[in-house]
Amino acid sequence: MIPLGYFTFLSAFLFCTGIYGALTRRNVIGILISIELILNAVNINLVAFNKYLGSPDGLGEVFALFVIAIAAAASVVGLVLIIAIYRNAKTLFTDGLTLMKE
Amino acid sequence: MDMLMFYLISACVCIFAVLSVTQRDIFHCALWLAMTLLSVAGIYFYLDAPFLGVVQILVYVGGIITLFVFAIKLTAHIGDKAIEQKNKQWVISAFITLLLLCILLRVFATHPWAKMVLNQAPFSMTQIGNSLMANYAAAFEFMSVILLAAMVGAIVIGKDKK
Repeated sequence: MIPLGYFTFLSAFLFCTGIYGALTRRNVIGILISIELILNAVNINLVAFNKYLGSPDGLGEVFALFVIAIAAAASVVGLVLIIAIYRNAKTLFTDGLTLMKE
Repeated sequence: MDMLMFYLISACVCIFAVLSVTQRDIFHCALWLAMTLLSVAGIYFYLDAPFLGVVQILVYVGGIITLFVFAIKLTAHIGDKAIEQKNKQWVISAFITLLLLCILLRVFATHPWAKMVLNQAPFSMTQIGNSLMANYAAAFEFMSVILLAAMVGAIVIGKDKK
């Protein structure tokens, strides 16, 4: 069985990939995609620690389920907001959406 | 064999994740994200959490990716190949992200539990169901309220006001 550290390495890489995407994307949908990657990195950590350290009632797996449900709710609201923004502003690029700055 | 499987799935996760944040066509990004999420489900199966793996495939690949594809198709000609998808700070962002990755890897590699191979018995689906319905029932109920609120909010925001 491989050591726990490898799973944390994998999740750190996935997390940093998500951060990079969220920082560099111009498209709002791309930023949402990156946020999904970050949430998955957290989930890998939760499940790996639950497996290696153990918990009396499977807390890690239960919380991973909660994270998945919250991520679903968040992306539903986010995508609907994106469609509403597109309907009004006709753009989805972050440098075009400066309504709050003006 | 065990090791080889892990390396294979991890390589899939890493490559697909990098592709899903660097591809130009946003539709391709959504498809690469689907592949990443499938590989993460493979990690769950590897970690003896088959229920979570199935939920991952059902909710993420079945539900969220479909939503992403719908949103991309409804906001037409935003994800064209000709349009630049990176912003101007991508070099400094890449530098900062690499720095963060190095710090995280350094911390994880030196921590005592990095070499831990202690293996707990896998949780059965019955145990997960029991703790979801008994110990964490309050959180479970709050979750359903949040999902309902998200659904109602999505309908209200998405409605065409005419």
